[in-house]
Amino acid sequence: MAEAAAAVTATGIVALLTSGALVLSALLTLFVGYRVIRGPTTPDRVVALDTVATNIVAIAVLYAVLTGQGFFVDVSLVLAIIGFLTTIAVARYVTDGDIIE
Amino acid sequence: MSSPEDRPRSPYDRRTTVIARTVTRLVVPITLMTAVALLLQGHNLPGGGFIGGVLTVAAFVLVYVIFGVEYLVDTVNASGDRLVGAYRALFAFGLAVALVSGLVPMVLGGEFLTQAVFFIHDLPLYSELEVATALAFDLGVYLTVVGALLVIIAEVGYE
Repeated sequence: MAEAAAAVTATGIVALLTSGALVLSALLTLFVGYRVIRGPTTPDRVVALDTVATNIVAIAVLYAVLTGQGFFVDVSLVLAIIGFLTTIAVARYVTDGDIIE
Repeated sequence: MSSPEDRPRSPYDRRTTVIARTVTRLVVPITLMTAVALLLQGHNLPGGGFIGGVLTVAAFVLVYVIFGVEYLVDTVNASGDRLVGAYRALFAFGLAVALVSGLVPMVLGGEFLTQAVFFIHDLPLYSELEVATALAFDLGVYLTVVGALLVIIAEVGYE
């Protein structure tokens, strides 16, 4: 699986678009970080942190497309599951006060 | 606990939305499958016992958070203490598996935790199967992580 994917790196227009999307996602994560730090209310921070998690998943997949290293897809899968779970847990904490009842 | 007649649809559909419950039903099997895949590929690719165990516990935590702590207890038809006891037994069994997988090479004349890879040829359907002995140690780590984290989650849930 990994040795077959190792040779396929993106070239041409795909590499250009992927690099642009990577820069865009990184910049977006930076801006959302401002909302995490300053965000006046807790729900603002929760949504911002969820966006950070989603952006990191996107960055991992885009990097996998760009370099052809397939295991970054595994990384993104695990990050997506953990990020989803984290958002649900924090939302429960904000609305109900306890996470597991 | 109410009688079976006046239950709405399920006694665990309390304060979570239908979106959360449906997504949980979809995501938990996918999470468990990813966990097992990471466990099985862990000997020569990213993954392994620890992250597989953490993902398995993540699926359990999702069930605990969405359906409440009584759901799993009622599903397996046991008391909460017995469930936590089963988690503790899983933890101890995982440690035993990891220890035995380290001691077996010493019996066979190698160093502690020596690992090997076998290739089984001429199998039907697979044709070649790679058997890594590191999987036994990974399985021990997996069971230890699952048991330990579930004990923590369940005890915190009953607080």
